[in-house]
Amino acid sequence: MDALANGRDVQLALRGIRKAFPSRGGAVPVLDGLNFDIYERDFVSIIGPSGCGKTTVFNVIAGLLEPDEGTMRFRGEIVPGLSGRVGYMMQKDLLFPWRTVLQNVMLGLEMKGVDARAATETARDYLARFGLSGFENAYPKTLSGGMRQRAALIRTLIMDPDILLLDEPFSALDYQTRLYLEAVLLDAVETFHKTVVLVTHDIDEAVALSKRVVVLGNRPARVKAVHDIALNDRSPIGARSDPRFSEYFNTLCGELDIQTRARAA
Amino acid sequence: MAIQSLSQDQAPTAQSPATPAATRRRPGALARAVDTTLGRGLIQILAVAVFFASWEIAVDAGWLTEFLVGAPSGIWRVFVKSVLDGSLVHDTWLTVVEAILGFVIGTVLGSAAGLGLWYSVLVARIVEPFIVAINSVPKIALAPIVILWFGTGFISKVALAVSLTALVALIAAYQAARDADPDLQALLASMGASKNRIFRSVIVPSTLPAIIGMFRINIGFALVGAVVGEFISSQAGLGHLIYNASSLYDLNAVWVGLFVLMFVGFLLYHVIDFAERRILPWRQVDTAGSVQV
Repeated sequence: MDALANGRDVQLALRGIRKAFPSRGGAVPVLDGLNFDIYERDFVSIIGPSGCGKTTVFNVIAGLLEPDEGTMRFRGEIVPGLSGRVGYMMQKDLLFPWRTVLQNVMLGLEMKGVDARAATETARDYLARFGLSGFENAYPKTLSGGMRQRAALIRTLIMDPDILLLDEPFSALDYQTRLYLEAVLLDAVETFHKTVVLVTHDIDEAVALSKRVVVLGNRPARVKAVHDIALNDRSPIGARSDPRFSEYFNTLCGELDIQTRARAA
Repeated sequence: MAIQSLSQDQAPTAQSPATPAATRRRPGALARAVDTTLGRGLIQILAVAVFFASWEIAVDAGWLTEFLVGAPSGIWRVFVKSVLDGSLVHDTWLTVVEAILGFVIGTVLGSAAGLGLWYSVLVARIVEPFIVAINSVPKIALAPIVILWFGTGFISKVALAVSLTALVALIAAYQAARDADPDLQALLASMGASKNRIFRSVIVPSTLPAIIGMFRINIGFALVGAVVGEFISSQAGLGHLIYNASSLYDLNAVWVGLFVLMFVGFLLYHVIDFAERRILPWRQVDTAGSVQV
């Protein structure tokens, strides 16, 4: 909390990011000069109308796509992308079906070249911490959706990434499991002091989890607005019961031009 | 536990959920008692016995001419004789070695090339029409050239088996590599993995099921290559046995060759089945809970 109050250090700055994809009728611009900052230990949600290029932003940050124009600075240094520094999590759990839970969780450590014994040790610790001990040797196929996504979260956290990039990680889960995993995520982010960038179409989730919400406009996307979310209780259920929750929710709905008649002002 | 089964013999209207108890079909007591390894085995043996007995009876009764179709008793005599003089073992051994060598070489070369195409989309796109064109030639038609190039001995049979299996392996491996989940690859890339690393950790394991599935097809093709090679010119082998015997109208000997080939193919198929279960343990889990329809 104190880190937030005084001097918000910029961890990642995006400036003038442009990206177009080639198609039959010429290049289709997707990102049109995107500017925003992500602070240290921030929790930023990126929301926007569907198809606006949220996932493209995500892929640019992850270093999977090269922007046509623009720069990214990580702690002041210009970087091409954050490949190897980010933890990446998607709606699909992306567990490797041929690896056991333990081997899946170890994946990132393996890529970093960590010694196998040490990696196994760490992986077991993490599994125990997140309540998956006993499932080390199970194949993902045998686990429930919630457990698989939990394993995916552990796999993301174990690499100790600078930034967690989450692309609608919980949207395929039922509501209860989702609330539970949101709590697990918030707890883990607090414990390990992580920065999170969450791409979502779910305004409810964005408000409940984030410290800030970046709203993108229609394609080609620019930043339409950035909202600070100041809820006292940031537990998934607590946040949703906060009186200001619906206020934020409505504001963001308005930003996205969602026609619900709720806000006919 | 709604409607469990809709078997083919029921009219589509029978699936009305109003009477689930009536449409739910459970195996009867007899089916359940028989459906064990022993029970199924006994039925299978019985079926074979009935088949050969009726064949023998038909020949004895004069409904079939032994000269044209052979007879089980005659097949057995030829079998025992050729086992005793060692010729059958020699022929079988030769054909099996030709087929297995051809299978291994063709499959390894083809799979490696197919997986290798994953590395370059450009090369893959350039090569694709050529692969399709070559594949559309019935490869058995290459046999005369293969004999010309590799002679009439052992090598030419292996070469023919290779020519039959390599392209099948290449196409199967290439397609499987192309279908490998791009998100898994992106995940590894985000972890800073190199292209070689992604190849080893995603492409190879995710194509293995398709590649092993292709083994089943290719072991058959390898046998075809070996046998056809022997048809064209040879001094021994099961293909030689069959070809020679049929030109002498020795139908019983032809059947011996065919049945041994059948047995060999059957055995090799199960070897691959066994290998698959060892190599892909992650695919074996959790079939017990699936709904029986």
